[in-house]
Amino acid sequence: MMTSYKERLTGFFTKNRELTALSIENADYTVIDTELTGLDVKKDSIVSVGAIKMKGGRIDLGSLFYRLINPANGMNHDSVVIHGITPSEVAGKPAIDVVLSEFTDFCGSDIIVGHFISLDMNFIKKELGRAGRQTFSNSVVDTRGVYEWVKESTGEYSRHYAGKPQELDLFTLAREYGIPFSEGHNALSDAFITAQLFQRFLSMLPGLGVRSARDLLKIGKP
Amino acid sequence: MTIEEVIEFLSKIQPFQELDSAALRSIAGGVIVEFYPKDTMILQQDGPPSDFLRIIKKGGVKVFIKPETDEEVIIDYRSEGDSFGLLSLIGGDRSRANVQTVEDTICYLVNKETIQRLLDSNAAFSEYFLKSFLNKYIDKTFHEMHNKSLLYGGGDKLLFTTPVGELASKNVATAPHEISIKDAAGVMSSRGISSLVLMDSEGLPSGIVTDRDLRDKVVSKGRDISESIQSIMSVPLMKVEARDYCFEALLKMLRNNIHHLLVVDEGRLKGIITNHDLMMLQGTSPISIVREIETQQTVEGLIPVSRKINRIVNLLLKEGAKASNITRIISEVNDRLVRKIIEIAERKFGEPPVPYCWIVFGSEGRKEQTFKTDQDNAIIYADIKTAKDERKVEGYFTDFSAFVRDSLVLCGFPHCPAGYMASNPKWRQPLKTWKDYFSKWINNPTPEALLFSLIFFDFRVVHGEVKLAADLRKYLETLLKGQNVFFARMAGVILGNRPPLGFFKSFIVEKSGEHKDALNLKLRGIGPIVDMARLFALEKGVRETSTLERLHALNDKHPIVMELGEEIEQAFEFITLLRIHHQIKQIEASVEPDNFINPSNLSNLERRTLKESFQLIMKVQDAIADLYRAGMVTQ
Repeated sequence: MMTSYKERLTGFFTKNRELTALSIENADYTVIDTELTGLDVKKDSIVSVGAIKMKGGRIDLGSLFYRLINPANGMNHDSVVIHGITPSEVAGKPAIDVVLSEFTDFCGSDIIVGHFISLDMNFIKKELGRAGRQTFSNSVVDTRGVYEWVKESTGEYSRHYAGKPQELDLFTLAREYGIPFSEGHNALSDAFITAQLFQRFLSMLPGLGVRSARDLLKIGKP
Repeated sequence: MTIEEVIEFLSKIQPFQELDSAALRSIAGGVIVEFYPKDTMILQQDGPPSDFLRIIKKGGVKVFIKPETDEEVIIDYRSEGDSFGLLSLIGGDRSRANVQTVEDTICYLVNKETIQRLLDSNAAFSEYFLKSFLNKYIDKTFHEMHNKSLLYGGGDKLLFTTPVGELASKNVATAPHEISIKDAAGVMSSRGISSLVLMDSEGLPSGIVTDRDLRDKVVSKGRDISESIQSIMSVPLMKVEARDYCFEALLKMLRNNIHHLLVVDEGRLKGIITNHDLMMLQGTSPISIVREIETQQTVEGLIPVSRKINRIVNLLLKEGAKASNITRIISEVNDRLVRKIIEIAERKFGEPPVPYCWIVFGSEGRKEQTFKTDQDNAIIYADIKTAKDERKVEGYFTDFSAFVRDSLVLCGFPHCPAGYMASNPKWRQPLKTWKDYFSKWINNPTPEALLFSLIFFDFRVVHGEVKLAADLRKYLETLLKGQNVFFARMAGVILGNRPPLGFFKSFIVEKSGEHKDALNLKLRGIGPIVDMARLFALEKGVRETSTLERLHALNDKHPIVMELGEEIEQAFEFITLLRIHHQIKQIEASVEPDNFINPSNLSNLERRTLKESFQLIMKVQDAIADLYRAGMVTQ
């Protein structure tokens, strides 16, 4: 039986209202990262997706998601250098719509967390749209946004420190917080680093007045 | 990758390294990662039980308890690779202690089902936890731990507020790292220091050498002392900033299993800090306990301090102290405690009506106490003229000695089952009665008289009029002159106690009963040596009461000691140390300490040394038989 658009919409809002009323310690999160063939959402595509679940501040290594994808429009040289995935490695892998279907199932209704997540979301939404699937409606938090908010509210932040624009990439921040990471990385290990970064923020936020998921979504809006 | 990192980490720590890779992968696949900022309370004493075994991936925690009335007492610090929460996880009842992070900490959480499965299926895994974790934390032991950690009471605050720079010894000896081992040792011994910092050609510290290095890497390995000091120095040097708090230094030492840290201030060497410095800060050193005893004014105040005395043994052992030094320090501290109690008694009952002295004998008299031993004490008071005075004195010392006895019990020294205590009127006598006792025992050495002689002749003064005891000692010496029959009887006691070695040099152990397969180390190992040293000392008029001091003093006086003295000393040290180790393990396991050792639990080296010690005792016994058999003493 088909549910009407209105029913779906009401259901969505009810679900989301419940979700955002949760405290940040009790909310469910899926922390994600993607590897791309490039940064141009029109030309480039997703090579791999990694995701890891968190229940509040707990990172659950029992709930991991990692898939390589056979990109429709090939891979360029630059991205191979960055993430080390070669065309031959992805040759036998499933196509993007199969993986994204599994991926959205994995995420369920969790809050999606990522570093500079608008980029990942743009690619995911593009691919979902191309496959003619309903759009990805989960709430989204950008750890970079949370970082900036934390820095601003603790008075430590300066966008142009010592005259230089501050680096805000994942590894710079991981280093700042003493999060251990190894040399080689992929979508999953980067999602893990992002999760640990997010974990740090979760431990600080209540002290800064951010207690509900609703507040978190505000300060971490991509 | 994510899971691989966890596997890699687990494969390096106990007891997970016992597991195969499939098991590790299955554990890692279920791990939950948590982060706790500094000062987060992870588990709460008497709160809900732990829901996971937490393994510290990064950071550190302190495990402590907070008795209702007292300040918090730290049981342990745990750092990377250590875990916590096992017992309450398995027990499922309540948390035993508080666990709080002392720095930002990441933990890997392993759930109960997984741990239970591992404990059930993997012997090595469960054995590790049984040994290192469960044993320590079963409830009964918990009280022991509690007492033990009282050592840290009050001190741990200092640990968090004192900068390393304040504690570090400022005079750091340095030497160029080109010098030889011999020259380095020379510098250390001439300056009386236990560590030396080696500097490179640019004047920067490049390594450190400690007494321990000389012992472990040179002497025991037979290394050539003309080699460069660089071949044995410890590198890299671990440093700590002068402004860092002491607990950071402690964590660093614990984490790296080292005892020295360089203290630097803006890159420049400012001093050195040792674990001993930190222990002193925490009030665990014998010196600080003595100081604490001295400041007490009541028996109630002495009780908690007295609990710490046993624990010194543990610390001294860890510092590598020799058995004889441990027992000497313990006896010194115990003496102070006894003196303090007597002072309190004198205040309570008023000035004693006559001069008197408080004497101790047995192991206390020989300064060979380890853990709290039975009371062995008596009172000698000055001779009295009239019967009226006699009654007054008797009345005074009756109450006085009962009070001291009961106070000692409160401080952990149980009654002497045989009643060798000043509270027993027989052992609370004027000097002339003591003289009568002694002369009766010597002139008519019945088995009972011999027993009394073995016990009482090791007397020494702890408090009071020293002259009374000195008089008695001098009297004893005169009495013993030429008493060959008496000495022959004493020798007979020694010969009757052959070490438990069979014909084929195998240990003879108990065949049945509570101590099946074990042997009594005190009775069969320490006893004979103590008895030998006493016999020789009494015969030669040596006044020392401790076994080692007696042997030293006899070095040029007694033919047997001249020949075998050094070996006897070593055997005595070894057996005593073995006994202390055995008892400390029992105390940690909350078992009443005893003297029964099962030789099959010893290492090969220990077994061999014990056999050699027993053989030596037999050899000395044979010599004693030759020398004393006919009731004759060669002069």
